[in-house]
Amino acid sequence: MRVALIGNQNSGKTTLFNLLTGTNQKVGNWPGVTIEKKIGVIRGTDYEIVDLPGVYSLSPYSLEEEISRKFLFEEQIDLILNIVDSTSMERSLYLTTQLLELGIPMIIALNMSDIADKRGIHIDLKTLEERLDTTILSISALKKTNVFNLIQYIKMGDYRKNLYQHIYDHELEEAIESIKKVTKSKHPQFLAVKLIEDDQTFVQYHNDATKQIVDDLSKRYLRDMEQVVADERYRYIENIRDEAVTANRDQMTWTDRLDNILLHRVFAIPIFMVIMFGIYYLAAGPIGSFTAQMVGNYMSIFSDWTRSLLIGYGASSWSVSLVVDGMIAGVGAILNFLPQLAILFLLISLLETTGYMARIAFFLDRVFQKVGLSGKSLIPFIIGSGCSIPAIMSARTINDETEKRMTIMLTPFIPCSAKLPIITLFAGYFFKGNSGLVSASLYFFAIGVIFLSAFIMKKFWFKGKHSSFILELPDYKIPNFKFILFDVYEKVKAVIAQAGSIILLASIIVWFLISFSWTLRYGVDPNLSILASIGKILGWIFYPMLGTYSWGAAVSAIQGLVAKEQIIASMAIIAGYSDTTSEGVLIFGSSVFSFFTPASAYAFMVFNLFSAPCFGSIGAMNKELGSTKKMWQAVLFQTGIAWVLAVLVYQIGHLIEVMI
Amino acid sequence: MKLRALKYRKGDQTKLSNLKKGQKAKVVFLDAQDKALRRRLLDMGITEGVQIKIKKIAPLGDPIDIEVRGYELCLRKYDMSLIDVEVIS
Repeated sequence: MRVALIGNQNSGKTTLFNLLTGTNQKVGNWPGVTIEKKIGVIRGTDYEIVDLPGVYSLSPYSLEEEISRKFLFEEQIDLILNIVDSTSMERSLYLTTQLLELGIPMIIALNMSDIADKRGIHIDLKTLEERLDTTILSISALKKTNVFNLIQYIKMGDYRKNLYQHIYDHELEEAIESIKKVTKSKHPQFLAVKLIEDDQTFVQYHNDATKQIVDDLSKRYLRDMEQVVADERYRYIENIRDEAVTANRDQMTWTDRLDNILLHRVFAIPIFMVIMFGIYYLAAGPIGSFTAQMVGNYMSIFSDWTRSLLIGYGASSWSVSLVVDGMIAGVGAILNFLPQLAILFLLISLLETTGYMARIAFFLDRVFQKVGLSGKSLIPFIIGSGCSIPAIMSARTINDETEKRMTIMLTPFIPCSAKLPIITLFAGYFFKGNSGLVSASLYFFAIGVIFLSAFIMKKFWFKGKHSSFILELPDYKIPNFKFILFDVYEKVKAVIAQAGSIILLASIIVWFLISFSWTLRYGVDPNLSILASIGKILGWIFYPMLGTYSWGAAVSAIQGLVAKEQIIASMAIIAGYSDTTSEGVLIFGSSVFSFFTPASAYAFMVFNLFSAPCFGSIGAMNKELGSTKKMWQAVLFQTGIAWVLAVLVYQIGHLIEVMI
Repeated sequence: MKLRALKYRKGDQTKLSNLKKGQKAKVVFLDAQDKALRRRLLDMGITEGVQIKIKKIAPLGDPIDIEVRGYELCLRKYDMSLIDVEVIS
């Protein structure tokens, strides 16, 4: 048996899905967290349950909504579990009545019943059940009330059979009946309504007879049929509401009180800036780099300890070098930043679950509108400070094609958590007194680049046309710390897994390439190694931003394609290897990288931050842009901008250095 | 600019974008030509006859948060100018 879980955006579907299946899918408090369907098994049964992206209607507006509609209409589904937000019954029932038209057995779970109670919304379950002829259960997914009963209901299968209720006026109902007679479908009622609405995705189901019926009908109404159907549907729901729902209107909720401050005409933007600065201060700034240094100290102790241990066992010099200079240097360079990344993930998760994220999109929409983006672009940008891959995917909720495409192309400019090590390392070494200021400047740089690129794209590429911004503002919620900690844990685990797999493998390869010459002689001068000769071919690309031909910087930057943190891993290996004293991870003390000046260091950071992202993100861009050509355009655009900016930064910076 | 300062009173017909914070109105006509946009507005519950209250205005003046059918929805001013309303209070 297969159960489909469906409801409005942000109605708590995924929270319920996690409870029903015992898994831990990501939840958040902004519309559109779930962008792909997820499949699980209901606890204690062998029933398959599918968590579908939230929709407001079965006439899809954006891509992730299309996924839900297609699934419901085309796949074999035995039971629909419709989750309804008790605090906004009318809008939820609009979807419910459409689902009923599919003619699939259905159970309604009235979620957030606890919040509705508190707000003085009373729902008469019995009347509602009678009117919809569907089994209804009042639950709270967050507080886990009644979820067990829900599973029992699904198991027993004794729910009401939801016979179709007449919801339209006489003429419409008659037309639906006659269309049903001349069409064939698994969902005749649903199809008939869609044909009357003239929904473009269902045109292929039209035949001469149905066209005739719809034509006659629209002549009688003299209005757009789509609008007639929506009006009638909402009229029907208003009747149900009047019978079954009583609510205290116009009361001040604490969401309103909080919004009076957080969306205040004067204070909103300063508050936002303070919050963003706080996040930066804790994750990227002083606190974050302090933790990185601390772990770094332990890492070098561990590295020395391993070295002496291996030598003590009589290991050969190349095997000691492989383990210490290759594996530990490479992987360790990443693991240093683990606590820092955990802080960042925690803060982003908090933004996502409290409901503040939707507010940011709301009040900054105006600014983003000016450069052809949407307030909704901000959600990918903020998630992007963690990782570009989910960020690029979250751009799906933007319905305007141009805005979506621009957002996808611009999201990788945000310094993601893998770029954080680069910033921390360079800023910490070259700008000792002002490292906080310098790393902050890079975030502002990123924002500037985004606005500039958006402006350029809007001017020359995507000529402006009007677009809309339609976003539901969710209530504030106190985050569930269990979910948050799990979310952070999952992300940290992913970083460790990446360090232990891709980075480890890449580190071994880099170690091999730097340890051997083309004639496969071990222990050559690094300047004569295979790696150096590859780097020397590419060195000219980086000459204008470094002021010298550096094979070490060139090969490291290229490895950013594998993963941005690999740049640091590679530099650590190269430095550790070239350094005659072989003193741990002091990268810039080594002869290979001693050429770096503050100007070239800043330029090198700029290049690595803004150039083509890692393969994972490029893959995500390819998928979301929907064409390889557009992906290449994006990658070349990003790398081009990065190169130009890096060169500018170095040339100007160098001029200042010379003058001083 | 003078038009903007005009305050619409009960019974007046105007565009939704002209209302002030706290004002209520009833939707009379949906003037959106863009089919997808109109569909979305309908789906979100903005049908003829429904009551709308202006709840929150973004610090930069646009977009605007309205209360409709018991929930809150943000719209840009431009889209709101496509919604003809009759002022209730």
